[in-house]
Amino acid sequence: MSLTDRIARGLEAGWNVTDGATLVKNQTHEADVVVVGTGAGGGTTAEILAKSGLSVILVEEGRLYYRKDFKMDELTSYANLYQEGMSRVTRDGAIAILQGRCVGGSTTVNWTSSFRTPEQTLTYWSRQFGLDHLTPDAMAPWFDGREERHSMAPWHMDPNVNNDILRQGCEKLGYQWQIIPRNVKGCWNLGYCGVGCPTNAKQGALMTTVPGALDHQARLFHGLRADRLVMNQDRIDHLQASAMNADSVTPSGVTVTLKARHFVVAASAIGSPGLLLRSDVPDPHDRVGKRSFLHPVNATMAQMPEKVDPFYGAPQSIYSDEFNFKHGVDGPAGFKLEVPPLHPALSAGVIPGHGRPQIDAMADLTRTQSVIALVRDGFHPESPGGTVSLRDDGSPVLDYPISDYLWKGLRQAYLTMAEIQFAAGAKRVRPVHLDSDWYSSWADAKAAIETIAMAPHRTRLFTAHQMGGCGMGAKPQESVVNGFGEHHHVSNLSVHDASIFPTSIGANPQLSVYALAARNSTRLAGKLAG
Amino acid sequence: MNDQPQARSPAHDLAHLDRRSFLKTGVGGTLLLGTASVAAGLGGCATAPAGSQDDVGARTGAGYQFRFLTRDDIQLFEALLPAMIGPALTEEPRARRVAMTSTIERIDAGIYKFGPANQRELRRLFDLLNFGVTRVTAARVWSSWPNVTTAEADAFLERWRTSGIGLFNNGYIALTKISNVAFYGHQDHWHLSGYPGPPQWAVDALPHIKNA
Repeated sequence: MSLTDRIARGLEAGWNVTDGATLVKNQTHEADVVVVGTGAGGGTTAEILAKSGLSVILVEEGRLYYRKDFKMDELTSYANLYQEGMSRVTRDGAIAILQGRCVGGSTTVNWTSSFRTPEQTLTYWSRQFGLDHLTPDAMAPWFDGREERHSMAPWHMDPNVNNDILRQGCEKLGYQWQIIPRNVKGCWNLGYCGVGCPTNAKQGALMTTVPGALDHQARLFHGLRADRLVMNQDRIDHLQASAMNADSVTPSGVTVTLKARHFVVAASAIGSPGLLLRSDVPDPHDRVGKRSFLHPVNATMAQMPEKVDPFYGAPQSIYSDEFNFKHGVDGPAGFKLEVPPLHPALSAGVIPGHGRPQIDAMADLTRTQSVIALVRDGFHPESPGGTVSLRDDGSPVLDYPISDYLWKGLRQAYLTMAEIQFAAGAKRVRPVHLDSDWYSSWADAKAAIETIAMAPHRTRLFTAHQMGGCGMGAKPQESVVNGFGEHHHVSNLSVHDASIFPTSIGANPQLSVYALAARNSTRLAGKLAG
Repeated sequence: MNDQPQARSPAHDLAHLDRRSFLKTGVGGTLLLGTASVAAGLGGCATAPAGSQDDVGARTGAGYQFRFLTRDDIQLFEALLPAMIGPALTEEPRARRVAMTSTIERIDAGIYKFGPANQRELRRLFDLLNFGVTRVTAARVWSSWPNVTTAEADAFLERWRTSGIGLFNNGYIALTKISNVAFYGHQDHWHLSGYPGPPQWAVDALPHIKNA
């Protein structure tokens, strides 16, 4: 069996992969390029650079997990594959942050939804941030290329009931809906994308670009934490990194120094600003960590008369953009509607409650359906995003105040989601909110939601999409990198991940990251070869 | 916050307005929690992970090594879990005890993987609840946790759930979330949600799971 697995085969064939936990003495290594992070951005960058003949070292703080470890088990996966063992939150604790921490980054645990950056978003960037080269036409070939690389296509099987209820509700109300493109090959339609694909069907970085880079002599260190980029005059000289113990929680004390001509940071919208802040990289306009976006998510739960089994089947296959850009790109907060999978641990963590009401809510899981709204943040003066800063121990934390503008959008989203669920035949609907009861009619739900307190902690909020913090733009006064991800002030530093987005995307961001990283890495490969 | 009802300031929250406004600021909350942690250490509360000490081991079954929860934390969860999950458990004392203790072990294992930053946050929260003065003032729980009844534990959780003070709501979420995930998420309790587990046909077809 091991020989049929892409990773097991590569390791046997002699890939240059080092587990930081096995290192016993301090050491130094050198390559043309050091890439920090192995997710959508880092994987893409490493593969393109390695294929162009450059020597590449990939650095990943999380560990290498692959099919042998993916056993459709929630508790193990949340503990090992997610940032802070799935406990990451914003500074005040009000927004739960779902984010990968393993080789492949969030692409190892995402729900496979693969959208191009909406045209409205690219056009807005061009207008607001001077990113004239990122027009939909100019980006189209990069999206084409990445869709092929990651086997992205509209889901060809029937949606599961959980998703179909979103479709039915939209259909009844005359709202548009569409089928979600997914990055899978030979998918078994099991429903366990969020805990690591047990069949290798998911074509995230772990099954595509990371193996592609390793096949071309890239070297991967996992279990190695990037601490600090160290400057020598106006260039970065080396990366200082700490090996982590096998528990992935504590550093072992062994340090690794990585020297290179060029450094690409792709450590996520929380990790990348964190690394730049720890490194004191020049930031004359105080832009690093600013304008961080989350697509804040709220949710409603519905009890359906029929079996939903929301834990089985492709987790996301239907979406609605009816309300995403309805009032213009920069009008009242728009939102994308999708569906989350509901396995028992995830559900128990999302539904707030204790005692009998919690037991009752969990008891009906097989007939529970949920809709989520992803609020498009960053397109309005009253949606300036949050700020990444450093804790005393140097770890990054995101402070994300929620403005009245966003609360309004979130309340509207509660209303819309409840309306859709009742239209699809829900018996009862409940916003995921500390004050909410179950409502048995749309009229009752509407009346309650219109006056429910929209406040931190009481309104349960989530995010699976972290963006911004090293925003791109034409003007150094307003941004960290230019439209090619090149740092404005340090010539041998690039940023290739979701942190460069100057707003949120308005769609699940993985394809936006893949495409920009591919474009910017192709340019970088040319420069470094020249 | 727009449209936040002013009425939701139940009299059973904290009695004194000045303290309320003090706690409402994040700074005040952090100071209070920080003070509790220091005082807990000075006052002789158990501040070291419980490990597998004999008295704990006798309650929690052999073998498990606690890496984060202290003896006081374990007593806290022994008092809270009956209010959180008690009605879902069998009345049979031994089976009930096993379900409780294994849940507490999974809470410990989960928190260990949270990493240093969130461990520090939880340390402050648990110290606040374990230290007598703050247990009384912030949680309004008068007895030490081993003497708290299920009804009193439920009343405490309900106070923090309905409180107008975000810090207490956040504490409620932290306590219930780690407990709910550790309980409902485990195979032993999947039947409570009707979750049959991963599809058997897929397990049978995947040697790395079937032969594990």
